[in-house]
Amino acid sequence: MEVKVEGGGEFCDASYEKICMSTLRDISLESNIDSVYMNCNAAEHVFIISVKIGRVQSPITVSDMTIKGDERLTVTTETYVPKLLDLLWDRYGEKVEQISRLEIALKIDDDEMRKLMSQVVYDPRVDLNTRILDGIDRILPEGARVRHPIRSTGRITIIASENPIKEEWKEKAKAMLSKMTKGDL
Amino acid sequence: MYKIMMFTGGVYKFSELKERIHDIGGFILQEMVMQTETMMHLAFPEEEERIIRDKAKETGGKLKELPLAGAEIMVVVPSLGKHHAVDPMCDIAEFLRRKGAITNMMGLARGVGKRIAQITAREKEIIEECDAAVFVFGDFKECLEVKSKICESVDVPYIITGGEPEVKIEHYVGNIGRKTARMRHKEEIDMLELLTEKIELLINDRRRELDEDPLATSPLFMKEILDLVLPPKAGEEFSTIMQLEGLRVKIEAGDEEKLKNVAIGKRKLSDICEIKKSEYDGYILKILPEAVTGNVF
Repeated sequence: MEVKVEGGGEFCDASYEKICMSTLRDISLESNIDSVYMNCNAAEHVFIISVKIGRVQSPITVSDMTIKGDERLTVTTETYVPKLLDLLWDRYGEKVEQISRLEIALKIDDDEMRKLMSQVVYDPRVDLNTRILDGIDRILPEGARVRHPIRSTGRITIIASENPIKEEWKEKAKAMLSKMTKGDL
Repeated sequence: MYKIMMFTGGVYKFSELKERIHDIGGFILQEMVMQTETMMHLAFPEEEERIIRDKAKETGGKLKELPLAGAEIMVVVPSLGKHHAVDPMCDIAEFLRRKGAITNMMGLARGVGKRIAQITAREKEIIEECDAAVFVFGDFKECLEVKSKICESVDVPYIITGGEPEVKIEHYVGNIGRKTARMRHKEEIDMLELLTEKIELLINDRRRELDEDPLATSPLFMKEILDLVLPPKAGEEFSTIMQLEGLRVKIEAGDEEKLKNVAIGKRKLSDICEIKKSEYDGYILKILPEAVTGNVF
């Protein structure tokens, strides 16, 4: 993940680069983002941040995170267990019992079990935008509450300020965006 | 003048150390015994320091200076959101506590932003109940220059911390600013030490002013009396907090009259103190100067 911050002076640029890197790492977005560009204008209190979305993990199925046993599933990746249990309880109700931390008893026939193994437990693409916006919210100064998004493919770009967003800032952000798309920034 | 230090050591002969403290007219402010480890905050006359050091050495313990002991400091952040809490607010407060201060932490209701940053009258009053304040702001120089104006109305000594290394505002410590992790690198600890030194200068200035116009009685002595007359509830810590000019006392509802009538020397507490209900916790007892009250003993 590349991070570039400009406009805040030497210290602030370096500080916000660190903030971007560690915030996105903390919310597990480091591998999903190709690059982050941020422009800080503290004098006018305008901040522009643009995130280029990179590779997204493919959906996690039941077979990706469990091993099928005899009327039971053994969990191999604990991360998505709450979502798996949600799915199982929704579908099968009382036939599901979590007998230990990594063992789930499931009284269903073999056919049903086979169909279950290909079910999607979690698709990272579904909440990716929400998570990126959460990350952007944590990075931008808290007082910059007035937000204006700029639409583009494969990117999330936000202008933020404590004041109403002026047209000139929108034009500036669009100009930056086209430079980024060409690879000049 | 009294000196406050921290003793850490084992249980060997530590009761003898306590007796020695009382013999020379000192006080035990805090005491913690955990199995074989003890920690005590001791206050004793400066001139008796040699006796205490010798006794501490005899018991095999260590004495550590507490430059901020006897002071209550408020750490103020623009809000309690993720941007400001817990890093670096909690690191700063912990460092001040390691130097002996009692700390409180406050997030302003509308402290974020540059032009829109505000401090309310009530927040100001709460900060002014403490002996000093540390305002923890962000990284941008332009924001710091504008935001420092909200601190100017606060009537206690204060330090402003921010990210930018050099900013032309009074009482400023740079290189702190926004953090996303604990401050544990050497450079960061050095900045915290610098911050503590600056606060120590402000606190010592105030102590010198108080020396020139001494208080009717020492807050240490008053704390000792109050802990006997109004003992803390079981399990309650810090029911009496020392400040430079008095105490913050947490009492139960109905004990206000008892508090006013506590005998300090030949006088009542209400004669030698201004008693005011705190805006957020307990009562503030501000000891009047001896020149106003006359001799108490």
